[in-house]
Amino acid sequence: MPRRLLVILVASLVAVSALAAVTHGQSGEYKIGVLEPLTGPLAGEGKRHLEGYEAVRDMINERGGVMGKKLVFTVADVPDPTAAATEATRLVTREGVKIVTGTYSSRLCGAASEAAVRHNVIYWETSCVDPRFNKRGLKNVYRTEIDATGFGWYNIEFIAKHLAPRLGKKPNELKIAFLSEDSSYGQGVTESARQRAKQEFGMQEVGSVEYYKFDTTNDFTSVIVKLKQAQPDILHHIAYTNDSILFYRQAKEQNLQVKAVVHAGATGYGAADFGKAHGNEANGVFALLEPGPGFRVEALKPDGQKIEKEFRDAIQKKTGSYPLGAHQLAGGGLWLLKLVLDRAKSDDPDKVRDAVMSLDLPVGSMINGWGVKFSPEGQNANERVQHYMLQWQNGQLVTVWPEEFTTNRAKWIPLPAWDQRK
Amino acid sequence: MDPAARLGSAQIDVVAQLAVSTVLLGGIYALIAIGLTLIFGIMRVVNFAHGEFLMLGMYLAFFAFTLRSIDPWVMLPIALVIFFGVGLLVYALVMRGVIHASHNVQIFTTVGLSTALQNVALVLWSGDYQLFRPWHASVVLRLGNTAFNLSQVVAFAVAVLLTAGLFAFMKWSHTGRVMRATAQDLDAATLMGIDTDRVYRLTFAIGIACVGTAGVLVSPLYAAYPQAGLQFVTLAYVVVVLGGLGDMAGALAGSVIVAGVEVAGSYVFGTAWKEVLYFILFIGVLVFRPAGLFGQRGAESLGV
Amino acid sequence: MSADRWVAAALFAVAALMPVVVRDSFILDSLILILLWGALSSAWNVAGGYAGQVSLGHAAFFGIGAYAAALMSARYHQSPWLGLVAGIALSLVAGGAIGFLSNRLKGPYFALSTIAFAEVLKIIASRWRGFTSGSEGVPVPFRPGFWTMGLTHVQWVYLALGVAILYYLVQVYLERSRIGYQLAGVREDEDAAEALGIATRRRKVQAVMLSAALTSMCGSFWAQYIGFVDPIHVFSIDLSVRFALNSIIGGIGTALGPFLGSILITSLETYLRATFSGMKAGFGGIYLIIYGVVLILVVRFAPEGLTGIASRLGLTARKADAPA
Repeated sequence: MPRRLLVILVASLVAVSALAAVTHGQSGEYKIGVLEPLTGPLAGEGKRHLEGYEAVRDMINERGGVMGKKLVFTVADVPDPTAAATEATRLVTREGVKIVTGTYSSRLCGAASEAAVRHNVIYWETSCVDPRFNKRGLKNVYRTEIDATGFGWYNIEFIAKHLAPRLGKKPNELKIAFLSEDSSYGQGVTESARQRAKQEFGMQEVGSVEYYKFDTTNDFTSVIVKLKQAQPDILHHIAYTNDSILFYRQAKEQNLQVKAVVHAGATGYGAADFGKAHGNEANGVFALLEPGPGFRVEALKPDGQKIEKEFRDAIQKKTGSYPLGAHQLAGGGLWLLKLVLDRAKSDDPDKVRDAVMSLDLPVGSMINGWGVKFSPEGQNANERVQHYMLQWQNGQLVTVWPEEFTTNRAKWIPLPAWDQRK
Repeated sequence: MDPAARLGSAQIDVVAQLAVSTVLLGGIYALIAIGLTLIFGIMRVVNFAHGEFLMLGMYLAFFAFTLRSIDPWVMLPIALVIFFGVGLLVYALVMRGVIHASHNVQIFTTVGLSTALQNVALVLWSGDYQLFRPWHASVVLRLGNTAFNLSQVVAFAVAVLLTAGLFAFMKWSHTGRVMRATAQDLDAATLMGIDTDRVYRLTFAIGIACVGTAGVLVSPLYAAYPQAGLQFVTLAYVVVVLGGLGDMAGALAGSVIVAGVEVAGSYVFGTAWKEVLYFILFIGVLVFRPAGLFGQRGAESLGV
Repeated sequence: MSADRWVAAALFAVAALMPVVVRDSFILDSLILILLWGALSSAWNVAGGYAGQVSLGHAAFFGIGAYAAALMSARYHQSPWLGLVAGIALSLVAGGAIGFLSNRLKGPYFALSTIAFAEVLKIIASRWRGFTSGSEGVPVPFRPGFWTMGLTHVQWVYLALGVAILYYLVQVYLERSRIGYQLAGVREDEDAAEALGIATRRRKVQAVMLSAALTSMCGSFWAQYIGFVDPIHVFSIDLSVRFALNSIIGGIGTALGPFLGSILITSLETYLRATFSGMKAGFGGIYLIIYGVVLILVVRFAPEGLTGIASRLGLTARKADAPA
């Protein structure tokens, strides 16, 4: 009996020690935790998000790093919210990081931040847009990107101030239909857009709002049929990549004709894959994003110009392409973290908080032409995080609005018939 | 709904478009379900990895097109052969050893296979969504005001052909009868000198050939990515149960029914609730008529 | 006490001592997860191993428990312990429904029906925005204190350990009691059992209901521990498979099996994830490939799982009636 016991005990100890192998960082390095979905349905964009981080990390290290040390990452793959919670915990307890950043998706940021907060570390979100994120009363949780309500706000701004006049109508004469995937991202953008559209501009909402599950929807026929009956001028569609590609193809097949399609976010219509899938037929679709080609770097403040140019070159070198939405959100967010750490000169949560609140830069000061001003709840203000409306033109998403920031102009208003979209 | 839409041709157009969509979508589901029902029916094994072979078919078509400019329709016969071979291989390596084992063993074998395949795809080809556009993906046929996508029409046609072919094969060919006999009574079949291992091998290979080919056919329509199989496989189970275990024609009918519930359901109740509808249908059938709408009564409690 | 019991006692003792000896939060976190997974797998084992009703939809009960605790705390501002009780009540009802199905369906049909059941709950949870916050999920507020289940890591270890020991004892009871023998009869040969006068239908329903309640309770704890309830995850088939996986690899139908399986699988996953995660994006998938292959191998070559291997190596007594 004792022999068997011994074997079991030894086996347990072996298991424990496998878990116990602690990694030590080298001195001269400052490690932060990065959570990204690198497997699973969001893997494509998660990868790009990470690339953005890496490019800016290199830029930061060329300037001497943070707090005098080289910035290094410990990266964890978080395909779902549970993994987000457990990996956040692991990065803090095992790797000893004091700052956790990520996570690209609204599905993940809630869980990751809750876990980080339980261990009293700083959580620095650069991309998710869940509106509830900053309303939970959590200390040391910050977000550099605007939330979904900001997206909705900007979208309606664009529709009312730019599209309406070009269509020769007043905003309250526009008929607008809403369609969206059903996570907090889609819901957040759509609900805030609906509200602003109705209350501030009196736009007419036609048809009923449709929410669907992006990863299990195989067919949009019923939706398209209903849209054809409702006959909107503008279709406001928030989608992830798979569903945007599918919907657009079926809209073409069934000849759904609207005057404009508007989206927001670095996914779906705003993702490179959409353009690859539809080529020139995508011409004319709008997506609210960070600046694309045509962006007038000269419109930024001098420091902003310098950083922006450097960022673009870095991304071009690293990925061979123009910075895409995910790159820009990650890069902009990480750069902002650097500014905060430079000011705080430490990662003590209270000092960091003071540094965060003290930052006040106007639009045009940084990567993506952003400014900075955080609310007491840790949210970077909507008006400082300048967003831009991009449009698909001949296989590329180019910046078309606000017009003072770009050399390009929006075309194809209203959208021509399908066989003329070449 | 705008009252004006209730009048005459507009209403007919709506119904027509929905009907067409149903039939074409049903064709795709049928292609996937046929292989599943065959394996299910003859080997009494639930192949949880079925969706992954669909996914592999999609990737095959994608790479054939982007690397060698081979159109998916040209790939079809090639895919049939390739996946037949894959089926034989997987049977020999994985399935043969568990064919007489208990259900949980079989279930978890295919579940393990499913996990492994999904992640092999992820590691090799990344999680990006891959879509390609052969000429026929954008060809739209029109009849009046209803639109048919050419790729979908062909997928439907192939599904019908495959079903008919398999049906004929099972009913009239010697091998088909041998397979059916094995399904009905394993012991008697062995006693009659049937090489049951060969039957199972063939069944599995045919099943995988079907679903791999389905992948090639649907690839112009849907993006390929490592979890693409998941999107369709649960539906396939519903179809198979609806149609009755091992019943080819039932699978085709079941596919159209499920597609119809999806399309009509999302039109009437909104897209959010469509899945609930067919799952409730699924549970309903399981409770009240578990042999399926077309299957033999009592088949389900013969157990397996 | 037979060898199995000594082993179990030893393992639980090690777990109890760990917080005293080890300060590392990460190890304690892993220990809590191992214990909870072991308990969840034991709960599944009650229905799948002891009663022979293999369900692939146990996530349904898990999700009910998780939501009950989370919503009670986040939405109604009551103690999650109340939610736990509510979850158990609901799961008993759901378990009864599944049990009813188990009397009408066999083998793969039953498994499929359980999958469908979990899927329906998943869809309802993701759509009912008014009640469950839909797809967005429910963040569970962390308020320190016992009644709010806001516990420290060490407290969680002992709570999880208590639950694990309880579930272990439930299984032991099933093995040794009359009810347990009847269940074994149902599992091995239902017709013969019925001929012997055993109320097979009732026993099956009871087993499933018990299994459901146990699963639900752990679901409630898990929600409070992880801090976030996402409908796609808590009702997912991956979870259901995982419960069964631990039991099968550890030794289905044994009291110790689920815990052995949990130790192995959870440690393996944690270790592999820490090693491979973050490298070239996508290589994170490697650990899942290993996972899948190991599953196929174990299920084929060592169907009695770890306890089977252990008995073959002479480490534990051979079980007289090994379940198929």
